Amino acid sequence: MAALQSVVQSCLSTTASSFGSCKGGGASSSSAANVMAVPDQFPAGLRVLVVDDDTTCLTILEQMLRRCLYQVTLCSQATDALNRLREKKGYFDVVLSDVHMPDMDGFKLLEHIGLEMDLPVIMMSADGRTSAVMKGIRHGACDYLIKPIREEELKNIWQHVARKKLNENKELEHSGSLEDNDRHKRGTNDVEYTSSVNEGTEGIVKSQKKRSSAKEDEDGDMENDDMSTSKKPRVVWSVELHQQFVSAVNQLGLDKAVPKRILELMNVPGLSRENVASHLQKFRLYLKRISVEQQQSANAFCGPVESNVKLGPHGNRFDIQAFAASGQIPPQTLAALQAELLGQPVGNVVSTIDQPAVLHSSLQRPKRAPVDHGVAFGQPLIKSQSNVSIPFPQCIISAEDASSGGPWRSSSLGTVAPSSNLGGLSTQNSNILMDILQQEQRSQQKTHQQSLLTEPIRAINVQPSCLVVPSHSSASFQAGNSPASVNQSCSFNRSTGIDYSLLSTQSKISNGNLKTPGILSGYTATGSLSTPSCSVIAESINSPQNSTVTYSDAGQLPGRLHNVSNIQDLYVPKSGEMLDQGAYRNIGFVGKGNRIPSRFAVDEFELKSNLNHGNIHVESSGIPVKQEPSMGFVDYAKGSPIFQQFSSSDLMSVFNE
Amino acid sequence: MLGLGVDRLRADMNRLLAMLFHQGVLDEQFLQLQQLQDESSPNFVSEVVNIYFQESEKLLRNLRELLMDKEFSDYKKMGIHLNQFIGSSSSIGAKRLRNVCVAFRAASEQHNRTGCLRALELLEHDYCYLKNKLHELFQIEQQRILAAGVRYPIQQIN
Repeated sequence: MAALQSVVQSCLSTTASSFGSCKGGGASSSSAANVMAVPDQFPAGLRVLVVDDDTTCLTILEQMLRRCLYQVTLCSQATDALNRLREKKGYFDVVLSDVHMPDMDGFKLLEHIGLEMDLPVIMMSADGRTSAVMKGIRHGACDYLIKPIREEELKNIWQHVARKKLNENKELEHSGSLEDNDRHKRGTNDVEYTSSVNEGTEGIVKSQKKRSSAKEDEDGDMENDDMSTSKKPRVVWSVELHQQFVSAVNQLGLDKAVPKRILELMNVPGLSRENVASHLQKFRLYLKRISVEQQQSANAFCGPVESNVKLGPHGNRFDIQAFAASGQIPPQTLAALQAELLGQPVGNVVSTIDQPAVLHSSLQRPKRAPVDHGVAFGQPLIKSQSNVSIPFPQCIISAEDASSGGPWRSSSLGTVAPSSNLGGLSTQNSNILMDILQQEQRSQQKTHQQSLLTEPIRAINVQPSCLVVPSHSSASFQAGNSPASVNQSCSFNRSTGIDYSLLSTQSKISNGNLKTPGILSGYTATGSLSTPSCSVIAESINSPQNSTVTYSDAGQLPGRLHNVSNIQDLYVPKSGEMLDQGAYRNIGFVGKGNRIPSRFAVDEFELKSNLNHGNIHVESSGIPVKQEPSMGFVDYAKGSPIFQQFSSSDLMSVFNE
Repeated sequence: MLGLGVDRLRADMNRLLAMLFHQGVLDEQFLQLQQLQDESSPNFVSEVVNIYFQESEKLLRNLRELLMDKEFSDYKKMGIHLNQFIGSSSSIGAKRLRNVCVAFRAASEQHNRTGCLRALELLEHDYCYLKNKLHELFQIEQQRILAAGVRYPIQQIN
């Protein structure tokens, strides 16, 4: 391990030095400081755990691995392997596991390993069919070897270990470098950013570098989650944890928030005052940075937004002004914040995948201004994925994002309805994305959308009767047709899309577009987009006012519900109009949201997300999850919800309620 | 004289191997296996192959039990067995067995019971064939090693 780390660190030291300057303090400096010699014999001594119920394979693998000079430990049972891994946390570098084992499925094992300890897992099977391999990928295997396994393949497995370490360190880098980078890129893209233009050339180089690294993240990084936990008890600021942190800060008020009080409010065992303190520091730093950036973005966005997107000046400015007024909230790119605050060794169990995606999205960001909606459709899948990932951001961030990043979102997602509440830090609800999808969408559009959607996506149909009816994967396509979708990202990992759709369209969709998603979903999965997402499709036909979408929330996020209701509220007055116009295109991307670590079986219809976040309860039987009469929008009274709408030519407009 | 015996035995081995390759019973993975055999594990190939035969016999028994069951319906379990069989067969380079297994698996996925039975019979036949041939091979090798071992002291004396 030590040898490996030194290799990785020495690799990193070069990059670290280039990015190190970007960030005042924190993690990057530490890795930059360590420059160690690279031992020549690096892969030798790699500790490999092999799990296979087939003794023949086990014996052969043992011999092969031994000849690669790895240290081999054999297990013929998955449970046995898991026990060993638990006993010797941090001992093994990589796990080779068979897929079919009598006591425990290899994927199950993979899941456990992903959750409990962070190790690269390589799956092996004689079954080389695409579906089987894809399953492995979805579960987060870093490689899938088809039997017979050759020695050459095993010689190479150290790279997964190295990549993982590298990525882990990079994440630390990201936190510091990304936003700067982002700014650089924007500087090159937008003339408005005169302040940052001077950094332009440098920025390009960096951004390219970053781009490639972000891609790497996507590939290998699915199981970075709790790498740190296996090694040292470093606190991982998962999305939930950060959420708790934010709400504690909100309660106290930013000025009065001191680590001790925050810690008390959060009441999380194992969290020390120091952890909170450093996180708070980072958090403040970000808020500050955001505020600096805010002005820039305000300038930058007005132009393109209005012309292109028809983002109502009200909406856009309103937000920006609100921000500016509040002053505390500082604009920062979503991704940067996310990366920095959450992203680091991101999150344990839940949120790992998000990171690469988010980073990715941030990379895309600079494009937002110039991009028009039409482009969103045509965009390659990957890109759209990145778009998809956007909603995750934590509330604050997202709120900010919504306002400053409006145009961008709109281009990719369709509609952005930034919620006004953002004012302080209190933005739990803040980010609401609304997509208005029109029934009349061309099938093409649908397909595009679908392509964006991932198969396992779960769609919840809200019938006119206000029921939330979960539908199976096919349902996700309904989102495609749905005239309106509201995406909201809460501070959770997940975002939920709500689609107001007409029934008739749904059926259409199911006919036409079912095929694509399968394949596409596969790719999405690879791309580290986590698949399952929830979309709520609401029928807006007759009495939209009655229909309310409700999530039965775990109660963690009160904000979520508000969002929903709010959205609905916004929608209601408009809905008739919109439908009449028939002009709205559905750019929106319904499946936005929910990221789940790829480890979780994606192909199962259960909403794993529920398990993770406890946000949405969907009963597979289609039973109404929760019915509530139209909800109060009380919380939003303050902020004027902004509603964006697409005009026929992909333009968006924002309504202030 | 003994040296000649060693050479002849080696030639016999090669001929046998060539035949098995030619018949498609074995493939290059078997050569990989042979290459894995080194000083640290001089009997690696025969050890692995013996393990393989033990496992395979278990698998064959299970498969037969599954298929003989009148209310047989557990194609999934059969698929799992077959996957393992495919994995181990391909790992030692038993190409033909592997191919039969693949056909078997395809039949089981179609819930084609007669196809499964036919495949099972073929599997058992090919299994016996492979086992006999490989045993023959290992016997020759044993003789060769013995012959070589006898020869060494003589050389040293000289």
